[in-house]
Amino acid sequence: MQPLRIALAQLAPRLGVLEDNLASHRQVIEAARKGGAGLLVFPELGLTGYQLQDLAAEVAMRADDPRLLGLAADAADMSVVVSFVEEAADHRLFISAALLEDGAVRFIHRKLFLPTYGLFDERRFFGPGDLLRAVDSRLGVRLGLAVCEDFWHLAVPETLALDGAQILINVSSSPGRDLAAIHEVGLGTAASWRTLMRTYAQLTTSFVVFCNRVGMDETISFWGGSEVISPSGEAVFTAPLFDEGLYFVDIELGDVRRERIGLPLLRDERPELHLRELRRILAERTEMAIDEASEAPAETEPS
Amino acid sequence: MVRGARPESDESGERKDQLFELPPELAIDTDVARRVMVGFIRNQLRQAGFGRALLGLSGGIDSALVAYLVAEAIGPESMLCLLLPYRTSSRESVEHARLVVDNLACASDIVDISQIVDGYFGRDRELGAGGAAVREAPPLRRGNFMARARMLVLYDVSVVWGGLVVGTGNKTESLIGYSTLFGDSACAFNPIGDLYKSQVRQVAAAIGVPEEIIRKAPSADLWPGQTDEVEAGFTYPELDRLLFWMIDKRRTDDELLSMGFAPAAIARVKHMVAVSEFKRQVPPVAKLGPRTTGVDYLYPRRRPGSARP
Repeated sequence: MQPLRIALAQLAPRLGVLEDNLASHRQVIEAARKGGAGLLVFPELGLTGYQLQDLAAEVAMRADDPRLLGLAADAADMSVVVSFVEEAADHRLFISAALLEDGAVRFIHRKLFLPTYGLFDERRFFGPGDLLRAVDSRLGVRLGLAVCEDFWHLAVPETLALDGAQILINVSSSPGRDLAAIHEVGLGTAASWRTLMRTYAQLTTSFVVFCNRVGMDETISFWGGSEVISPSGEAVFTAPLFDEGLYFVDIELGDVRRERIGLPLLRDERPELHLRELRRILAERTEMAIDEASEAPAETEPS
Repeated sequence: MVRGARPESDESGERKDQLFELPPELAIDTDVARRVMVGFIRNQLRQAGFGRALLGLSGGIDSALVAYLVAEAIGPESMLCLLLPYRTSSRESVEHARLVVDNLACASDIVDISQIVDGYFGRDRELGAGGAAVREAPPLRRGNFMARARMLVLYDVSVVWGGLVVGTGNKTESLIGYSTLFGDSACAFNPIGDLYKSQVRQVAAAIGVPEEIIRKAPSADLWPGQTDEVEAGFTYPELDRLLFWMIDKRRTDDELLSMGFAPAAIARVKHMVAVSEFKRQVPPVAKLGPRTTGVDYLYPRRRPGSARP
């Protein structure tokens, strides 16, 4: 397999100013193309900013919005992941990440886990997605898309890898907090994320691509530190904290095969065992028969 | 090893005097903190459509640190420091404020608030606008009035200067309610409001606030010899540690006791935090209409179109 050049757009979107963010996305797409990128990743809600509250409905776009299709046309022969507020036909709002390829919106992942605790209030403004699927890409490998908090749930990287993803892509707007000096990088959030991403890469023997935004929305600052982690769990690249920039990283997709041959964890996964036990656990929680429990509405599932 | 607080070994290998006491659990990465606060200041001003800022400089460490942060964020040429002494303010306070202004080479002005305050409470035998009823007002009332007089001057000057008023209150005083509502707590934004006093000292040392300002006992300077720590009955390191474990780390009373905190201290601090809750929140509005600000009308404070043109 040929080397792949990944471009990480560690941007500082302007809160609620869609036009400005569309313009910066177009510029970055052009710069990434000139830089020879095959895969370009933008952060969570890069097109809208994060702390939207009631602005969410005002910046929402349908999946077939001409502005999104315009970006897809610009992306042309690259694989580009952008993130925006998606309005469904029935007017539900989602935090979505779209894979743009060959001038079209090839796939949309709707954020599955909406943190509504601590400084987060996402569930008030958005609905959670219902689908978790890997997607074929023009890069010749399947990709797994996830948005920020999705990666704080073990089942997400695991499911994506079992569904054939070889590159797991997480787009984030992670607010920096907990400045205790004991942390490796002086920021508790960054230390936690780094642990997670290395663990997922190693356990799924996949590349992990993490693109986190920078800049501030209101009182919260986003810490950047975007990364690419190899299937053996080592960082191939780590972007600086807080600096806006477009960072290029070259990876060898052949590393996935090498790692999976040498360390066949995915081969040895036992999804049927997992499923059986999950069914039992659900049934016990809901005091229903196993078949009923597996059909239970989302609210009763472990979250 | 905790950076900034612990004494560095000098060449002879002897330890220099400790600049201040820093409980280890409160140690923060000052580079990251500085970066976030400077970014915050720039962002708040830019999003509001302002390029300039001003603040009241008391001579104490909190406003000194904010002055250094603002200078780093927007340059000393875009900031104004106002010295707002009352006639009984200590000379040292004014001297230390001047030291900050000189070090930063920023614009400054001095407005003596004595006439405003005395104009209300009276002076010597002359009655003020408040009449005989306020003549014997205790120091606390006078102190609150002074804090609000400073706010009046800051906000008036802000119009001429064309800048936003930057807040200088720290997390410790905010949590225990050691601030004057609409007085020293009044501001457009506050970069240090989530730093405990011990952490303010740590960042102040890292950013180059003069040692004499870091070393001196914190004081509201409402009467000669007043210090925060005597008034509160705690030292800042004790208070900061207790607040940190109680609030940031959610320890229960029993857990705090087993950590060695005194029962009376726990009870007293919990009380201070609870009774000052109102000072930390926007005044409540009775819910009547379909959409009420702060309840179900929720917009970012800095939204498209919110900036001054």
